[in-house]
Amino acid sequence: MELKEQLKAQIIEQLNLEDLTTADIKNDAPLFGDEGLGLDSIDALEFIVLLDSEYSIKIDDPSLAREIFYSIDSMADFIESNK
Amino acid sequence: MKIISHSYLNRFGAFVNGDLILSGQEDNFLKQYFVQLEIDYPKFYKMDSLSKSAFLGDFLLKNTLQNMVNIDEKLQLIFANSTSSQQTDLKFIESYTFKKNPSPSLFVYTLPNILAGEIAIKHKWYGENIFFILTKFDSKFFIDQIEMSFLRGNEYCMCGWIEMNGLEEEECFMFVVSKTVHWVENQEASNELNQILNNYRNNGIKRTIKSSNN
Repeated sequence: MELKEQLKAQIIEQLNLEDLTTADIKNDAPLFGDEGLGLDSIDALEFIVLLDSEYSIKIDDPSLAREIFYSIDSMADFIESNK
Repeated sequence: MKIISHSYLNRFGAFVNGDLILSGQEDNFLKQYFVQLEIDYPKFYKMDSLSKSAFLGDFLLKNTLQNMVNIDEKLQLIFANSTSSQQTDLKFIESYTFKKNPSPSLFVYTLPNILAGEIAIKHKWYGENIFFILTKFDSKFFIDQIEMSFLRGNEYCMCGWIEMNGLEEEECFMFVVSKTVHWVENQEASNELNQILNNYRNNGIKRTIKSSNN
């Protein structure tokens, strides 16, 4: 499965977004705030756990989290560059 | 006090003031209603079924809410059910027992009163809220709570019996009570509440099934 599709499936699973499908999540749409999925700081915590458990990637600098978790595109780029 | 509006939803349909608004056709009826009502609120998808149903029950009352004044600070939220947040509690237990990964996004819904918070956040209401665990719907209990709320200075109460337990009996019954309009005695209000809910539970479901067959 392509990384971005895999990420979407993992986000749906991790955040218990049972009503959503991967097709509902756009690659370039913001994940946080009132647009996109409307995620919040609790979900950012889930993302940090997800990157660690699924990709063995730790975020050393928390200030980068906002940029990394902006969208599926930005998360996939970060994973690709930190493999 | 006066019951000024009410909504009800279950897997068979969504109703406002006794009128069928939407017929339920899918197992996932909460998402179905959300989509059919064309509501733009992405956070809905994150909520547990308790909060989703309360969110929809509140949305169905929007015409009533638009005409209420001092609502942001003078409205109390009073909710109850018999199974608390059991469905989410079990999912959270599963997340740390079997998946070895306690989920923060599940954990936040392991209290039933979160649904009151979701409604208050949506409307930017700052009034009181409370959630009771009762063995069954008790109209007199609700009326007593509403009376005490009005004696404390509140002008409205939004109340709900919201049971989302994964079983056949799932339902969300919400009603708004006003302190000032057309005073009705407590016993009369209690009887009216029972009658409204019984109509939804019995006639409403039958009517929905009949209309689906036609």
